[in-house]
Amino acid sequence: MSKKWMTSIGMVMWLATSASAENVDLSTIPPRDTVQLTIYNGEDLTLVRETRHITFKKGLNPLQFSWANTLIDPTSVELRFKDRAGGLELIDTAFPHDKPQMLYWNVRSERDVDAEVEITYFTSGITWAADYVCVSDPAEEVMSFEGFVRITNNSGEDYADAQIRLVVGTINLVEKVAELARRGAISKDEEDEYRKGLKTVRTFKKKFARAELRDRVAGRLAMATAAAPKEIIKEGLSEYFIYTIEGQETIRNTWSKRMRSFQGKRVPFRIQYRYRPAEYGDQLVRLFLLRNDDASDLGTTPLPNGALRLFRDNGREGLSFLVQQQIEYVPVGQEIVMNLGHDPEVIHERIRLKSWRDDFWYAREGFTVYYSPQKGHRIRTNDKVAGWDDHQQWIERIRNNREKPIDVEIRRTFAGHVAFRSDLAPVLHDYRTPQFTTTVEPGGKQELAYHLVTHQGYNKKQDNVTLEEENG
Amino acid sequence: MNVRIIQITMLAFVVVCSTNIERAAGGIKLITLPIRERVEIQLDHPHVTLVEEERMVPLAAGVNDVVFAWANAAIDKNSIQFSCLTDPGNIRVLSVSYPPNENALTWQVSSPNAGSARVRISYVIGGLDKTFAYRAVASNDEETLTLWQYVRLHNHANEAFGQAGMWAGFGERFERPIDINETRQLLSAKFEDVPIEKTYTADLSAHGYLNEGKRQLRIPMHYVLKNDRDHGLGRFPLMFGKARIFQDDGRGTVAFLGEDWGTFTPLNDEMRLYLGLSKDIVVKRTIESRKAIHVLGNLYHYDVVVKYEIENFKDQRVVLDIVESLPDLRREILRDTRRDVEWQLKNTGTLDEMIDREKSNADQVVFHVTLPQRGEDQKAVKQIHKMNVLIKNEW
Repeated sequence: MSKKWMTSIGMVMWLATSASAENVDLSTIPPRDTVQLTIYNGEDLTLVRETRHITFKKGLNPLQFSWANTLIDPTSVELRFKDRAGGLELIDTAFPHDKPQMLYWNVRSERDVDAEVEITYFTSGITWAADYVCVSDPAEEVMSFEGFVRITNNSGEDYADAQIRLVVGTINLVEKVAELARRGAISKDEEDEYRKGLKTVRTFKKKFARAELRDRVAGRLAMATAAAPKEIIKEGLSEYFIYTIEGQETIRNTWSKRMRSFQGKRVPFRIQYRYRPAEYGDQLVRLFLLRNDDASDLGTTPLPNGALRLFRDNGREGLSFLVQQQIEYVPVGQEIVMNLGHDPEVIHERIRLKSWRDDFWYAREGFTVYYSPQKGHRIRTNDKVAGWDDHQQWIERIRNNREKPIDVEIRRTFAGHVAFRSDLAPVLHDYRTPQFTTTVEPGGKQELAYHLVTHQGYNKKQDNVTLEEENG
Repeated sequence: MNVRIIQITMLAFVVVCSTNIERAAGGIKLITLPIRERVEIQLDHPHVTLVEEERMVPLAAGVNDVVFAWANAAIDKNSIQFSCLTDPGNIRVLSVSYPPNENALTWQVSSPNAGSARVRISYVIGGLDKTFAYRAVASNDEETLTLWQYVRLHNHANEAFGQAGMWAGFGERFERPIDINETRQLLSAKFEDVPIEKTYTADLSAHGYLNEGKRQLRIPMHYVLKNDRDHGLGRFPLMFGKARIFQDDGRGTVAFLGEDWGTFTPLNDEMRLYLGLSKDIVVKRTIESRKAIHVLGNLYHYDVVVKYEIENFKDQRVVLDIVESLPDLRREILRDTRRDVEWQLKNTGTLDEMIDREKSNADQVVFHVTLPQRGEDQKAVKQIHKMNVLIKNEW
């Protein structure tokens, strides 16, 4: 790393006896040797770990570290000596009241020594996100499934040739790094401008541009011999997952960069139609279902939240756009659901064929007992209906105009005390939601009939749905 | 070793070739402008238009920067896909970079050899959409019609696509040029001799009164097209769109009857095209009788007779569809109790034999009544029909 990368984050070594303010100073600027970014996607947080070589003289050595116009949390900046044999000791850390975004370290050395130091800090403004591109074959049986990661840098600092690690998972923070950075230095408006990429570190921009060009050319030479996409290594750590990008990447301030994370080349999937209003709205939707596991040519890593775009090879040397959706974190082994929405080729109608009432119970003014003609009780003219059963006969009609059979699953939720009578072999998804399935042949029609009995008024004894056979 | 920067814009395709030294020194540049080799506009999604374009890209051995940039076009930046059709196993995208505040991105593409490669770039674009329109010409006897379906492509995407293939998701694929701000209408299907049914409907709930004082109902007329093979259609769902309806006037020309929005019509469903109100079919509807029948306690049945006085002043026999909404009938004779209507037709009505059980359900009953043509004395025969219904278990 050369001085050209010294942009907004700077480190200065004073050739003086202390970090006191003097009119004449002489300083040296040790450049970064390495930098590593660990970027979290659950929080606006990046752990930066950089190393530099510094020559210490015997005695007291003042160091100045500053980070103007960046989003570093000043409370997180730490200095460590990687070479402990040098007898180096951090005496104190001072934050000058008149110089925001700056601190001084006083380091005592037992002898003259060239030592490697490691500086770590948190910054906000660097984020990463996953996204996925899937392409189904024309027959809609297998798909290619590519995962990407995209890193965006609005931290105010260019990070060149950085080793990059991406953390999947949510950590707990009691204070936001962006807030700590703001308290320490820059205004909210400035922070917003940096985030939006409207403001850049102008002082170093031209210098950076020239250096960037040289570095890119050098980088190209190196990459030309190994012209393969970088591998992204995935490994678990506690409750988190870390993606480590092979080699180094340069992430310029206000830029973003996207790389392929993994690829499943032939991922089998199945198609199901579901009516689940709580999840998909009041419509029968078409779903592609697959699983994040080895058998599906996936399963090497959990899938972080991200946008998924699904296409189909239309068989005419082109693609058809099917859907774009957000997917939530998918652990290894879990099902991935792609919702293609309403399918105009499959028609779902719900028709109430008939309604009627029976099993009336009557209340009599001044009495707390109830009377039923079915029980042989005598009903008086001024008795009032207090309980009854509502009967409804329904059919769910599904017409399949596609050229393949389709699997359909329907969930219906009913309020009150309900008996669900049918020959559909339903199961209860929850205490008030029967679920039933069917298969509809190509060009065919299925009518799923059921009979609801809702106990009303005095007849209502429960608040649930029971399943009964229609003739049971 | 050469390093290339290849720039693709919506208006031009720019290839910049230079050596390392030249680039570093900002020296000699060679710029070429490869044209689009193929453009496909995929219109098969109901709300999203996908454009795919193929270009021949000169690649150097090693890593190439391929820049895709656009201006004043609503391209979804995150939807842009790049695929190499030439040697896809070896020519690969290493990464994509997005510069700030620019409508551009850069693919870093590695190639083992120098040479031209065919690449396909796909993206979702706004402002380039489609609508459907129909022209229907009925025969003079209104027994059949000829239906033309058009797809209209509206290009407000601020980009000319030249000769482009287009596919609406069904039917024929077209290849036409499409210019900026141009709307192009293409015939996507033509159906001849489609048998139709002309219907007259008496439905107070849906269409109301023509003259409430006389209890005379509006009688809308429709052409009904069944979207199946037996009726000359049934190749694909009919999309929503405006339909202009004409009729052969028997003199070699056509008369304009009106227009209507054709609703989305799946296979085996009916498309109903509204033709206006009939003045020659007169239907007066009255509640002839209402009797409350005490059951027990405060529970009652209601015996209701609805009377229809019908006259056909046309010279043709027609079929009238009578539709009764039972919840609305109960509201008319009682009130809205918010309970389901329990009802039963009594055998004493004249309409019971004319019921359409397929279209009737818990909330409505449908009858088809054949009306004879006007007599030779030009007088219409007045038919009186009655629906006798028992609305049960109300309180």
